[in-house]
Amino acid sequence: MALEVSHVVGGYSQIPVLKDISFDVRDGELVGLIGLNGAGKSTTINHVIGLLTPHKGTITLNGVTIDQDSQAYKQQIAYIPETPVLYQELTLREHLEMTMMAYDLDQKVAWETAHKLLKIFRLDNKLDWFPANFSKGMKQKVMIVCAFLTQAKLYIIDEPFLGLDPLAVNDLLNLIEERKKTGASILMSTHVLDTAQRYCDRFVLLHDGQVKTEGTLSELQAALPEAGESLNDIYLSMTKVDRA
Amino acid sequence: MTGLFKSRLQRHLREMAKYLRLVFNDFFVFALMFLLGGLGYGYSNVLKQLKMGLWWEPVVVVLVLLVTLQVGRFATLIEDADRVFLLPKERAMHAYLVAARRYSQGLAQTTQVIVVFLLAPFLRVALGWSVPQIVGLLVVQVILKDTLLRLDLASAYQVTGQRRMNEWPIKWLLGLVTLAVGVWLTPYAAIVLAILADGAIAVWLQRHWQKQQIRWREQIKIEDNRMLGIYRFFNLFTEVPMVEGTIKRRRYLDWLFKSIKATHQQTYTYLFSRGMVRGTDFSGLVVRLTVIGMLLLYFVRGDWLPVLLAALFIYLIGFQLLPFFQQYDDVVFTHIYPIAPELRLRSFEHLVTLILGVAALLMWVIIVVANLSLVTAGIALVVELVEVWYLARIYTPQRLARAMKNKA
Repeated sequence: MALEVSHVVGGYSQIPVLKDISFDVRDGELVGLIGLNGAGKSTTINHVIGLLTPHKGTITLNGVTIDQDSQAYKQQIAYIPETPVLYQELTLREHLEMTMMAYDLDQKVAWETAHKLLKIFRLDNKLDWFPANFSKGMKQKVMIVCAFLTQAKLYIIDEPFLGLDPLAVNDLLNLIEERKKTGASILMSTHVLDTAQRYCDRFVLLHDGQVKTEGTLSELQAALPEAGESLNDIYLSMTKVDRA
Repeated sequence: MTGLFKSRLQRHLREMAKYLRLVFNDFFVFALMFLLGGLGYGYSNVLKQLKMGLWWEPVVVVLVLLVTLQVGRFATLIEDADRVFLLPKERAMHAYLVAARRYSQGLAQTTQVIVVFLLAPFLRVALGWSVPQIVGLLVVQVILKDTLLRLDLASAYQVTGQRRMNEWPIKWLLGLVTLAVGVWLTPYAAIVLAILADGAIAVWLQRHWQKQQIRWREQIKIEDNRMLGIYRFFNLFTEVPMVEGTIKRRRYLDWLFKSIKATHQQTYTYLFSRGMVRGTDFSGLVVRLTVIGMLLLYFVRGDWLPVLLAALFIYLIGFQLLPFFQQYDDVVFTHIYPIAPELRLRSFEHLVTLILGVAALLMWVIIVVANLSLVTAGIALVVELVEVWYLARIYTPQRLARAMKNKA
């Protein structure tokens, strides 16, 4: 059990956005976090990466909570934010080096990985540029390269498919597949449901700060038999219940 | 659309008033009065010794007027979002821009009148001009400024295959030719020239604006730059949130980072050092304060005064550096990296020690050179060392640890 979120109540202020949510991500598994705008996906992610502290409940990552040992907890996580965040004053090369230093990686091995990743995302000739001046898609690629540089146990990817070109989306999915094989887990939030349906092992459907359903596609289909076949149909029917 | 401009103008003026109150505080007004008094006195002395008919006198007049002409920019108050939200209203924007130009005239023309007014005694004494001639020159100056603002308005529109009309060679050349005619020949001929130029642009604009698109991007950039200039000025007196420092690559300073090894312990030293050197905010502050301190110390003599002054400047630099610790708080990775907070604090301590140490050393050298006294040099060295150590190793970590705790 890599990540275990258990009965978490939380949010940015005293008013909880998340109302008692529980789910888990197992080793070597890609879990899709699905929900409308404002359903609580980003809030969930912010709790998992430790930016927010839950009001109630616990988040455990391979047996460690952030309160027990924040270093050991953070060491296991790599995060790709929805909106790329960069250090204005650092070049691409320095961003990579900084990531290696922060995660205490072996420089030689890490640079080998880095060069491979840079080549995939066609950034290898831009090492001495300031990524702060890149386009959104290219900044996102920098985020991906930095995250996959680490040998994290859990990758948290917030809405990766918007802004990336189709080639990069494909490369990212391959990378995820590759890391899954080595036992890493991935928690990914997205709106692109048909891609999610094809690649995610399980889904957590968030609605209004609560976990509506979770499980594999067939489990979801079994739970909502009249909803339809695809993730899209299931998802729409789930939100409709609420609107009606 | 003029309504939109009016409401924006009100907001703009309210904001400016807020900052101006902070700029013109008692100290500044006091200093300004002295400065103006001194300058006025000096000017009147110069006038007394002036002889008529020297070759450089008309050149000075032309140069002063030419520079003054560039003061007072076209304030459009256009915002970034306008190129999306006002795009369907492009034709109606003309009325907005005309209103903006009308407003811009106020400050611009006031400046022109004041400068010509100040120049009047010089014109009388040095060039022996009569009052009607001087009034004529004032009219030239005002019409020229009107022309330049009209150029700014006209170049808000795209002109296919043609250079932008408000490029600086055009602006300077137009002013230079007209003013030269006005000063060396007669201001009355210059009036005619200025009216012709102004009229020609007015006619062109009247014919073309309905067919052209507005250069949104350029106009937004120009306005952003204008506002940034204003904020930068205010930023000298008070904190202005809108001023973000710029980043310069400064490749020639990369050797500074050579000694920082790429180890986990040094992660923040790696970041802080580059941020400090390449960002213009904090590095500019440190350099400015150090240079001003050195200049003052060069002229100040005595046993204790230089020591006190150096101590004051070191304290100022150290104190101003504190916020740099939070510089990266809005980058999410600062919170996600598995780095102990103590390491970040220690890196910052190192940086502050180094910066204060170098500043202290430079100032100490000036003290030694200026005073040539063993006693002063010795006292200064001890005081500076103790102060740098206290500020960097005791005061800074204490303050920042408290700040971090308050946040958590």
